[in-house]
Amino acid sequence: MIRTIANRFKWNAARYFTQTCSINSDASLCQNAASLKVDQLADIKESELKEISDPLKFPDYFGVRKLFRIKDLFDARIHYGHTNGTLDPNMKPYIFGSRLGHLIFDLDKTAEMLQDALNFTAHIAYRGGIILFVSHCPQHTLTVENAAKQAGEYAHAREWDFHIFTNSEKVYNGVTRLPDLVILLSTLNPQMQEHTAVKDAAKMCIPTIGIVDSNSNPNLITYPIPGNDDSPAAVQLYCNLFRDAILLGKSKKPMEVY
Amino acid sequence: MAVLRELVVFPSKCFRGVRSYFFSAPLFQNGSLKLNESVSKDGHALDFEQSDTKKMSKAMKSYMERAKIHDNFIKQQLHEYNIGKRHLANMMGKDPEFFTQTDVDEAIRYLFPSGLFDPRARPMMKHPDEIYPKRKAAEFDVNGRPYHSLFYTSKPNYYTLMHDLAVKFKQLDRHEDKIISRGIQNQKPTELFLFGSEWIPKQKIENVLLESLTDAQYVNLIKTFERFSQHPYSVIEKDFIMQFRRQLAAQVEIQQVPELMRDESGRPYMTYNARRKTSNATVKVIGQGTGVISINETDIHFFQREQDKKQIIFPLQFSDMLGKVDVVATVDGCGTSAQSGAIRLGISMCLRSFVNAETIERMRLAGLLSFDPRTRERKKPGQAGARKKFTWKKR
Repeated sequence: MIRTIANRFKWNAARYFTQTCSINSDASLCQNAASLKVDQLADIKESELKEISDPLKFPDYFGVRKLFRIKDLFDARIHYGHTNGTLDPNMKPYIFGSRLGHLIFDLDKTAEMLQDALNFTAHIAYRGGIILFVSHCPQHTLTVENAAKQAGEYAHAREWDFHIFTNSEKVYNGVTRLPDLVILLSTLNPQMQEHTAVKDAAKMCIPTIGIVDSNSNPNLITYPIPGNDDSPAAVQLYCNLFRDAILLGKSKKPMEVY
Repeated sequence: MAVLRELVVFPSKCFRGVRSYFFSAPLFQNGSLKLNESVSKDGHALDFEQSDTKKMSKAMKSYMERAKIHDNFIKQQLHEYNIGKRHLANMMGKDPEFFTQTDVDEAIRYLFPSGLFDPRARPMMKHPDEIYPKRKAAEFDVNGRPYHSLFYTSKPNYYTLMHDLAVKFKQLDRHEDKIISRGIQNQKPTELFLFGSEWIPKQKIENVLLESLTDAQYVNLIKTFERFSQHPYSVIEKDFIMQFRRQLAAQVEIQQVPELMRDESGRPYMTYNARRKTSNATVKVIGQGTGVISINETDIHFFQREQDKKQIIFPLQFSDMLGKVDVVATVDGCGTSAQSGAIRLGISMCLRSFVNAETIERMRLAGLLSFDPRTRERKKPGQAGARKKFTWKKR
């Protein structure tokens, strides 16, 4: 299982050795991805031929942990939660504390879960899965749609039609292939209720990655990422990270087994 | 949800297809790959990377079936249409090779005369492409991956339009920032002139986008367009905006304004015959004048009443030609009010040739260029007058 890989990376070590990436710019990460690929190929040639066939044997086959540092999360204000009274009890483990009545996320935990989620995204992209970015906040629609386009994947940052997953034949006028992964940039809709996509994806057995804020419920989400989902800077960072993870996943050509 | 996470790791082949067929269902099959085999064999992941583009996703298969049925249907209709055309040509005694659609329409009208009012209810024979609505082409490839990034919104074309508007808005903002930063303070951007056109109706947009919209979505689109065209620099995107506007009927019916004529002394002039009720006026407006008004060879005092004189002066005052043109008018018939109204219309119509398009439009809006069709209403039997009734008695 991806989440129970033996080699847990140490953040302290990683902080010194990760290369900085231009995360907050819109520049495509393809160049970086290509350079990373070369490094990884060098590593792979050293291991046994049997191992080559299965990317799942590696803890971080695509090198997603190099995509961000905790400082980048901090600069994008991902540690800002909502006020004390709005805390969802399920989010308690991820909260570091509160300051002046506002909750602060534990970025160590966020970083670990974000790394898992990005790794998962990269694996899905590697296998040609359909990835759907979902968000209902009108403020972030443009960011999300642009990120999806750049990644070559799909976005739904508009008003959600209830029958999209559960009655897809009617909605799309025929049999359609549904997404293999749903990435929720915000698990709440503008009415502060849980986004329908969370429930529907769970119904249709579609794995989800979701940015859960302090007032959201992470229970139905496969890979929750506790963090701020309201600041434009935070959403831009998430979009860039997921886009880069997808491009990393796609940049590796699936290797044949003989 | 630990169990779900375990299930997440699987070879892609198993799930190439419709999500709703969950793999535990015994009837599920994807091509030649039997699911029981794939899971139970070794326990570890399969060699999924034998790229199988020959095996189509269920979505694509279903689309291909539907497309085939539709294509066959259209082919059949086209065949029948062509045969029918030849029959009609023979019936009308014309050459089948050169039988055009207009000939077809004429033949149908002759052979199947219909008393029905609505033209769309009458018999017709048209090319199948004109009758049957166009369908969207295949929206996904052989693997079931949609082509359009916004496919899962179920209205990709509509939301692409909204997306483009947002992008263009940002571009205009950046342009404005650039202008401000260069310090070009005095430059006022030319305003976007949307007068005389209106936003195209919902049906037209649906035809363009090939998607049906709800009323709320249409209203939202128009509001977005309105906001976009109110940007100070929206004139840059004029062509884009005008694609979604249609000219109002009045603009379309603009009559050709006649050219000014020249008399012997070289002065420009224009004439017009105007009517009001049963009076006729022949009006001649001569340019390079001093404001001389002549009605039936007397001056403006031909009309004793203040209101009649004001009616004559109004078009000249409105178009700012009061002391600049001479007016020569002859009028007969009816009463003073009708006569002055006729002359007013005559003067307005002549002034069109002297003034610019904006003033003509203003005159049109003021009602100066409209013929007044009101006439005396006839008296009806059983009544005292046209509308007046006799005294109503309760018993």
